[in-house]
Amino acid sequence: MRRSVSIAGLAAALLLGMGVFGTGRKGSVTSAQEKTSTMEVKIDNFGFGPVTLTVPVGTAVTWTNRDDIPHTVVSTDDPKTFKSKVLDTDEKFSFTFSKAGAYPYFCSIHPKMTGKVIVQ
Amino acid sequence: MHPFDIKTVIFAKHAQHVVLIHFPIALFIIGVLFDFLAQWKRQRLLAAAAYYNLLVAAIATIPVVITGILAWQWELEGQKLKGILLMHLVMGCASSVLICVVWFIHRRARRNQEEVLPGFRLPIEAVAVVIVALTGHLGGFLSGVNGPG
Repeated sequence: MRRSVSIAGLAAALLLGMGVFGTGRKGSVTSAQEKTSTMEVKIDNFGFGPVTLTVPVGTAVTWTNRDDIPHTVVSTDDPKTFKSKVLDTDEKFSFTFSKAGAYPYFCSIHPKMTGKVIVQ
Repeated sequence: MHPFDIKTVIFAKHAQHVVLIHFPIALFIIGVLFDFLAQWKRQRLLAAAAYYNLLVAAIATIPVVITGILAWQWELEGQKLKGILLMHLVMGCASSVLICVVWFIHRRARRNQEEVLPGFRLPIEAVAVVIVALTGHLGGFLSGVNGPG
């Protein structure tokens, strides 16, 4: 009887401990995601999608070229805040926005392709 | 963007390379067509028309090559090219050389006052037309003219 009580107590303690640690781990994952949140812009069919992206400060934006032809991602300001190399199909470019503001950009091979990142 | 900035004038929303390229392509293809017709019909007038079309086509390649290389050096900062861009560059250079070679063959024959142009020019002209067409196709693909954009 005493033995079965002690096993039940041990099992309860284990379950409680797993619950506490589990919650703690979940909390740490959430805070990590908040710190390094990423947003994606797809380049396809000679356009950026979404054209305008609003993100919080500290967000990393990743552009992925899903088009059949090369594109670039270049900010319109001078000096350039960000400028990618030529991105072939499925290549990516990332930039982390550490300051609030509006960041218009374009593709230097196809200047009619434009987009904007608004950092709040 | 400054309206008198040379980079702005040549590139940003004024892609002069894309505009200028149509002149050598059209002049060269028509020049070769006239040359083939001159060979077939034995007409000196068509041969003269072919010569002047090829001459202007060869001259027109100069600004096209310059604006193309400047676009690579300024817009893409001269980075190592690959894929379609590299193919377009290589085939564009080959096309320019072939256009000039074809014109030079005609010029030499005219200078030497040869009655008949050398026959080996015809396959060179045919190959040149194919390479020019492929280069133009790649350029159109890159600029979006041949694509959905």
